[in-house]
Amino acid sequence: MAVIDFIINSILTQASITIALIAFAGLLLQRKPFGEVMSGSFKTMLGFLVLSAGSSIIVGSLLYFGDIFSEGFGMEGIVPSIEAINGQAMNDLGLANQIALTFLAIFIFNILLARLTRWKYIFLTGQALLWMATMTTVFGSAAGLSGIGLILAGGLVGGIFAVAMPAIAQPIVKKITGTDDIALGHFCTIGYMFAAGIAKMTGKNSDSTENIKFPKGLGFLSDTYLSVAIVMVPLYVVTSIFAGAEFGTELSGDVNYIVYAFLQAVQFVVGVYVLLSGVRLLLAEIVPAFRGIALKVVPDAKPALDCPVLFPYAPNAVTAGFITTTIGTVIAMFVLPWFGLAMILPGMLTNFFAGGTAGIFMNAVGGKRGVLIGGIAHGFFITLLPALLVPHFNSLGFVNTTATDVDTVTAGLLFEWLIHPIMNLFA
Amino acid sequence: MLQILVVCGAGLGSSFACQMSVESVLQDIGVKASVDHSDISSAAGTRADIIISGKNFESQFQRYDLPMDLIFLDRLVDKKEIEEKLVPVLKAKGAL
Repeated sequence: MAVIDFIINSILTQASITIALIAFAGLLLQRKPFGEVMSGSFKTMLGFLVLSAGSSIIVGSLLYFGDIFSEGFGMEGIVPSIEAINGQAMNDLGLANQIALTFLAIFIFNILLARLTRWKYIFLTGQALLWMATMTTVFGSAAGLSGIGLILAGGLVGGIFAVAMPAIAQPIVKKITGTDDIALGHFCTIGYMFAAGIAKMTGKNSDSTENIKFPKGLGFLSDTYLSVAIVMVPLYVVTSIFAGAEFGTELSGDVNYIVYAFLQAVQFVVGVYVLLSGVRLLLAEIVPAFRGIALKVVPDAKPALDCPVLFPYAPNAVTAGFITTTIGTVIAMFVLPWFGLAMILPGMLTNFFAGGTAGIFMNAVGGKRGVLIGGIAHGFFITLLPALLVPHFNSLGFVNTTATDVDTVTAGLLFEWLIHPIMNLFA
Repeated sequence: MLQILVVCGAGLGSSFACQMSVESVLQDIGVKASVDHSDISSAAGTRADIIISGKNFESQFQRYDLPMDLIFLDRLVDKKEIEEKLVPVLKAKGAL
């Protein structure tokens, strides 16, 4: 019995080991050679631990930023980052195991739903499923679910999103790509459909963005980490100036307080970089295994892929959608506090990927004018939804941050507004 | 062993999807290579023989003077396009 106790209480409570075991089982199922099974399992575990390290870096930077922001402006400034939410939920809330198992459950529900319903989509964007599992786990446990019930509820909700989102986007994706072979697997789809709706209404007979001549100099925007840094650095530096030398020096010690703010902004990007490198390692074995199994069970399934797969179809629309969405998020940053909501700073990772993809959607139905008006509305929309979650995140102990991808936010709200009250009835 | 690196903005989703397509093309034509994916910021510092990326990253890569072969795709997961563009490069490298 002591051995079993040791396995349950000392080994299986370590999420990195749980995840390595999931990969181990997946590799065995595929009958891979022994060496590959071992190296694949180890890489998965390494990935998880790298992810945790990245999360600690992000949290350190956000704590500092929260301090100078409230000193400088007398209010809270929330940084939207689903990566930070995921890292904190895994590290600080001790939900890592549940998230890992929910992630696996979403895979299984996705395959089942694709097999049993008309929505034949296999959702292959691993990190998006990880964010979804994070949100269902955080809000499911806040609603009072735990153990197997929490994992099954999260798996079912996530699995439904994994087939429904590609399905609602498919008519426009077909229009963009000209084929029905691939689908879009990215959990910002509600935002895309909202943006496309606005663009369709406002952009009648407007010319395509692809006929605009953009300056070559904007090419750097496609460098993800660079474009995050370009926003974070001024944000931190200006905030530290507002907070003042005296306060800033308390935090920065021997380093000049403005230089320190600059370095902390870069630290934020470093954290995102490390965390996403961890995610890359973590998914390297799991996603192909999932794909292999899924295609065996659902031979006629379409892969739902990450949004940049669409970028080459309309590169100008990506740049334009990124810019107009960013304008919308800046407007929302100033407007939402008037309505008693938190001040949400622009989240550049989401603005780039979600804004760029929304740009392609909007251009497909509403041309240039659609991208301009729809993009600003889109930016507003993807700031408003995460703002609704801020009080919940604060009460759960998250540091100065909120989620980004609107489909995962919707899943979180579903738990908060629907499942939580139902659970309370029975409690 | 021939090293192929597939690149996208964050090095997570679309490059990974493309990598799986490249691997299945390589299997079809019977070439052994190690395929991996990464983000564009790190790509310039890697030692791959061939880099594959989306057309929209072409201008980014032009800033670096990279010694490896570069392939840019319109459709990241289209096996036909991957084969059309990869086979000549593999032949030139004597891998096929």
